[in-house]
Amino acid sequence: MAMALAVAPTRMELLKLRQRVGLAQKGYDLLKEKMDALVIEFFEVLKRIQEARPKALEQLSVAHRALSMCFAIVGTLETKQASKETKRELQVDVSTRHIMGIAVPAVEVGEVERNALIRGYGLHMTSSVLDEASKKFERALKLLIELAELEESAFAIAREFEKTKRRVNALEYILIPRLKEAIKFIMMRLDEMERENFSRLKRIKAMLEERE
Amino acid sequence: MSSDRIIKLELSRLNLHLPERRLSLKEALLSPRPQVVARDGSVHVFKRGELEFLAGLLPEADRDKLPLPILIALEPKLGRGTARISGEVEVKVVSQVLGKEAAAGELLIYRPEVAILRRKLPTTTQYLFMW
Amino acid sequence: MSYKIAVVGDQDTITGFALAGATYTHIHTAREETLAKLNEFFASGEIGLVLITHRVAEEFGFDFRQMLRTKGLLPLVLRIPDKTGYMPKVDELRKIIRRTVGAEIMVKKEGL
Repeated sequence: MAMALAVAPTRMELLKLRQRVGLAQKGYDLLKEKMDALVIEFFEVLKRIQEARPKALEQLSVAHRALSMCFAIVGTLETKQASKETKRELQVDVSTRHIMGIAVPAVEVGEVERNALIRGYGLHMTSSVLDEASKKFERALKLLIELAELEESAFAIAREFEKTKRRVNALEYILIPRLKEAIKFIMMRLDEMERENFSRLKRIKAMLEERE
Repeated sequence: MSSDRIIKLELSRLNLHLPERRLSLKEALLSPRPQVVARDGSVHVFKRGELEFLAGLLPEADRDKLPLPILIALEPKLGRGTARISGEVEVKVVSQVLGKEAAAGELLIYRPEVAILRRKLPTTTQYLFMW
Repeated sequence: MSYKIAVVGDQDTITGFALAGATYTHIHTAREETLAKLNEFFASGEIGLVLITHRVAEEFGFDFRQMLRTKGLLPLVLRIPDKTGYMPKVDELRKIIRRTVGAEIMVKKEGL
């Protein structure tokens, strides 16, 4: 009877451990699927960045050249003055969309390009060089706003990927191996106990036979 | 076992981004701001362009039979790289989007096709984790 | 929701984007001052996008990256070249790509 009590907990343990490995394995498989899906999404955003980035940077470069020309022709002080007088209330609409639970920005920017009147720097300062510089920066700004949405999305997806990968690694390299070790150990012990039990029974049987 | 609890928690959170109730294409088209609210409270807005694209693929009669978002089911049993689309109308639509032969009530698609689907319908498709 | 735009960098960059309609600007001179301004912009709640030049971002190194990690969804932050076109050899985006999917794939991609 004592023997039976000692064995039972371990068999129970074995069962529990097997269930736990099953659960961990399930978690591992699903998180791997999630990682795969995140990679698909990541590459999608990356593709769009590959198209958007060069265009935005090119336009920015163009804008800077126009601005340098403006400094040279209209004058640095005057240009800076115009930049102070202009209406600077550009609004960008940011909302969130979700990819598998990751919040990712979605931007809408309305009409960025304006004309001199709307820009509002004093009419006495109207100069086509200044207009050019303003217009080119407006165009650059629009492309950069869209690029910002894409880059931030890429970072958000990458962050989630890293988080998921850490969990997958913890399951694969720490938890599951430990559980499997424990199972192996218990099975070995159970085996041992079986054999001990068997030889003990043999001895008892021999003793009983001797008595007769 | 705390690690078990953590795993169960993680699993329960996998599908929180999905809505309790999906919207049919017909309802979405009629709504001024077509969206669903997910179980985690987040709001998913469907882009009108995608809705119109989908409408173009279906006869009027089927439009109230297409639930949105279309679910791309990821199930480890299917093997990595394979996803499943279920539902007669969903299958019909996805087959067309991917340029495949219309299958029966269920369709298995592979990673490159998942990528195409997500590219064309980023707001009207969502991943579903199953086990 | 609607938000405004902030720009941090050198004089040319500031002037250019101001002409384009950016509301808040800060010319970088002293480290402490700029850090404080950045914190202000990040905490503002009114600002949806912060444009900052690579030069300035690089100067702040770890501190800046730390701010990015803790900032939440808004404001969006984008690092841009100044008029010299300066960009670090391997910018943050490429680092992330490498970490996420491995160096071999990155090599094949152009335009990044």
